[in-house]
Amino acid sequence: MFQPIMDQILSLARDAWAFMAGLLIVVALLGGMYYILQGTAGAAFGGSRMTSMAIIGVVGLVIIVLFAFLFLPQIGELLKNFQPQPPF
Amino acid sequence: MNEITSILLTFLREAWVALAGVVLAFALLAGLAQVLRTASAGVLGSSRWVGEALTALLSLLTLGLFAFLGIPKIVEALQSALPNGGGCGPISELGLFASQLIGGLAALRMLKATLTSILSTSLGAPASLASALTETAEAFFGMLLAAAAIPLAARFLGAC
Repeated sequence: MFQPIMDQILSLARDAWAFMAGLLIVVALLGGMYYILQGTAGAAFGGSRMTSMAIIGVVGLVIIVLFAFLFLPQIGELLKNFQPQPPF
Repeated sequence: MNEITSILLTFLREAWVALAGVVLAFALLAGLAQVLRTASAGVLGSSRWVGEALTALLSLLTLGLFAFLGIPKIVEALQSALPNGGGCGPISELGLFASQLIGGLAALRMLKATLTSILSTSLGAPASLASALTETAEAFFGMLLAAAAIPLAARFLGAC
């Protein structure tokens, strides 16, 4: 009875997932570019703190993106396995 | 009465399966949104925003685990506490019908409240989150009250 509605909602959710994943890639690439610019400028002007902050920023971004693309689907699989049958 | 019970319970079971799927989908989408928020806040250098997003991510995980592990156990425990054989004849049948229906409705209400909580967490609306959690508590106490009321009603109506 609820299957057609469920299919519609899941299709919307899949579209939203693809959109947000694309947006995350764009934000991460722009952020990475910004950090590279910051690091290069820091290295050129002799700002070692600026450069190190930029390197840390890039590493942080990579960790966040890896978390989103590797850890979140695993969490989803875990929750899907826990999806309970009706308890009544 | 049995046929009506089975039709209603089938309807409620299908609703449960659909709602559980929606909870899962929305929890994952909200998680991805929070990761996106963390990344953009990190780039902008807003540590408070990063902290908020990470906390929301943890809350979403906790709510998802509560929905899939906690609610079925609570419903099973309360349903076993509901007396379903108070009296005899139509009273007994009515008690069984009522206990099954109360259990199903309370389970759905709790799952719906968890879905609202997940949506509120992802949108950062603490007022809706609080009211959704209150709704869960209401469903819980409603089942407890029903557990006490059914045998009393059976006795009052002249159970055997």
